[in-house]
Amino acid sequence: MMPPHYFLLVAALLFAIGCVGVLIRRNAIVILMCIELMLNAVNLTFAAFANESQSMTGHVFVFFVMTVAAAEAAVGLAIVIALFRRRRTTDVDDASLLRW
Amino acid sequence: MMERDVVVRLLLRLIMVVVAYAVIRILAPARTLLAGAALGAGALALVALNPGALASVEFWAGLVGFAAILSALMIVIHPNPMVSVLFLIVNLFCVALFYLFLNAQFLAAIQIIIYAGAIMVLFLFVVMLLNLKAEEGLTARGGPQRYGAIVLGGLFAGLLFDAILHRGPQPYFDPGTFASGFGTARELGGLLFTRYLFAFEAASLLLIAAMIGAVVLAKRRLR
Amino acid sequence: MDPAVTRILVESTVKIALFFFVVLTVIAYMTWVERRVSAWIQDRRGPNRVGPFGLLQPLADGIKFLFKEAIVPPHVYRPVYLMAPALIFIPSMITLAVVPIGPAVSLFGRRIALQVADVDNGILIILAFASMGVYGIALAGWSSQNKYSLMGGLRSSAQLISYELAMGITIVGVLMATGSLRLNDIVTHQMEHGWNVLYQLPGFLIFLTAAFAESNRLPFDLPEAETELVAGYHTEYSGMRFSMFFMAEYANMITGSALATTLYFGGYHVPGLAALGLSETAAALVQVLAFCLKVAFFLFVFVWVRWTLPRFRYDQLMNLGWKALLPVALLHLLWVSFLVLTGRG
Repeated sequence: MMPPHYFLLVAALLFAIGCVGVLIRRNAIVILMCIELMLNAVNLTFAAFANESQSMTGHVFVFFVMTVAAAEAAVGLAIVIALFRRRRTTDVDDASLLRW
Repeated sequence: MMERDVVVRLLLRLIMVVVAYAVIRILAPARTLLAGAALGAGALALVALNPGALASVEFWAGLVGFAAILSALMIVIHPNPMVSVLFLIVNLFCVALFYLFLNAQFLAAIQIIIYAGAIMVLFLFVVMLLNLKAEEGLTARGGPQRYGAIVLGGLFAGLLFDAILHRGPQPYFDPGTFASGFGTARELGGLLFTRYLFAFEAASLLLIAAMIGAVVLAKRRLR
Repeated sequence: MDPAVTRILVESTVKIALFFFVVLTVIAYMTWVERRVSAWIQDRRGPNRVGPFGLLQPLADGIKFLFKEAIVPPHVYRPVYLMAPALIFIPSMITLAVVPIGPAVSLFGRRIALQVADVDNGILIILAFASMGVYGIALAGWSSQNKYSLMGGLRSSAQLISYELAMGITIVGVLMATGSLRLNDIVTHQMEHGWNVLYQLPGFLIFLTAAFAESNRLPFDLPEAETELVAGYHTEYSGMRFSMFFMAEYANMITGSALATTLYFGGYHVPGLAALGLSETAAALVQVLAFCLKVAFFLFVFVWVRWTLPRFRYDQLMNLGWKALLPVALLHLLWVSFLVLTGRG
């Protein structure tokens, strides 16, 4: 059997890669995708802990995180589309009207 | 100790991934073929060295972990957003396979249905409709901030590794008490409709709000 | 290696190989069936020159496609372009892997389930890979880097996701009646309580309509119609890759028929078989034959509807999916829950 550490470490690595992605990339859609990557890493951590302590509560959490992720992806992409219609660019550096 | 072994193997794997990618980018013209040949040769070597490995969970979990980390790196590195979408789909599949390793069979199917089958289709549609081209390379603008982000990301990963490896005493997992219904839809449904009923109903409200919000935000203004 | 693992590997490999061979042969001969049945409907002969009754026609067609020049246009995005036809084919194959063809038999001294993968959540696997089928078409349209293919791919994917919603809800109806996600349990439940089509008829009709839409068959084949958008998402494909799209369409048809049989028509159940008192292997053989006949009937229905009904316009298609099928599916779900509560389902 795999030691539970393994899944936690892989999830931590995926989370860190997602964080770096959000910080590095300029395309709004790729940033949203890196956020989804981070959410998946968190789901994996929940599932690993649920398996270790044989408690289904972890799975319930994963279920709700997936629901929220779906809702957030839909609304986020709608915002990106609305922004794109106005400015013809998905570069987040160009959405700077409210900056000083 | 077992944890050191796991960490060392994981780090070695990550270094292999980064080196493989660097080599591929340097030898740009024939990269797909070369990359495929290299990975195939590596996999064959691994299997030839230890044929019994094909039946061990560690080998397959390691392989899926390798694929997950490689695809996550490619999401962040590749300039074309459509290719990033495809690598995210691969990553979501790898996470679904991880759920299978963790006895979460319902979650694995749900991950494919919702994440890889619905959310990623949404991303795919948006990228196709907006007809996005590849953005310029990673070091085009805002140079030092990007390198700083990578370094801090590495430090963050190190911090997380440290926290995981030095956990407090965890409950002892006795395989003998493994409940055969663990991870099935029946168990999850039992919890969702009794103890977490309020959260379930609130989530359905959230989904309706998100649907209405998405339709309104993306609608063209009617002149 | 552990003998148990070796046994499982060998068993699975043999089943997968047999399964692939059978499905690919059926796909090839579906082209012949389509041409002969359409000829019969249109009061003419079909192919009858190549071999007796034209039975070698699929072979001739295959050879023709193999010898065609497979042009890969230079402007396409190559990795995805080459991968897309396979991406349409693979999900329908995986869906077929969980469908039970017959009851478990005792062969070579052990019980073998007549199903490639007997998983505990078969229905979820079906739903999962029905949603994965969207990618092949959308990616084929995008990778061709051509506005007509893009629009065709987008339209087709929008059609697929709209109809898979109604399909999912009717499957939930079957699931409620059965109380289990395993496909074997669904067949067993229908053996005891009567076929699902008898008291879930609206659900069956919605499922069949959605299956037509999912496999891009008339009356829903706007994305690939010759008169629309040049040729939709397979404009830039030629030769063997082009034929892969049609093979994938037939594979989707077979999957839809197999699912309709298993979920609504009792799968491999033959009413009154127990009374005949056959040996176990013979009974299993009869049940497998019954399953094949039911699937063949549904394939005939697919072909029949194609050559009878005219094509839907795109907005009519989307209206039907969202404004007609979805509310009816939800009402049907209410009806099934009423049946289950009063103990009839």
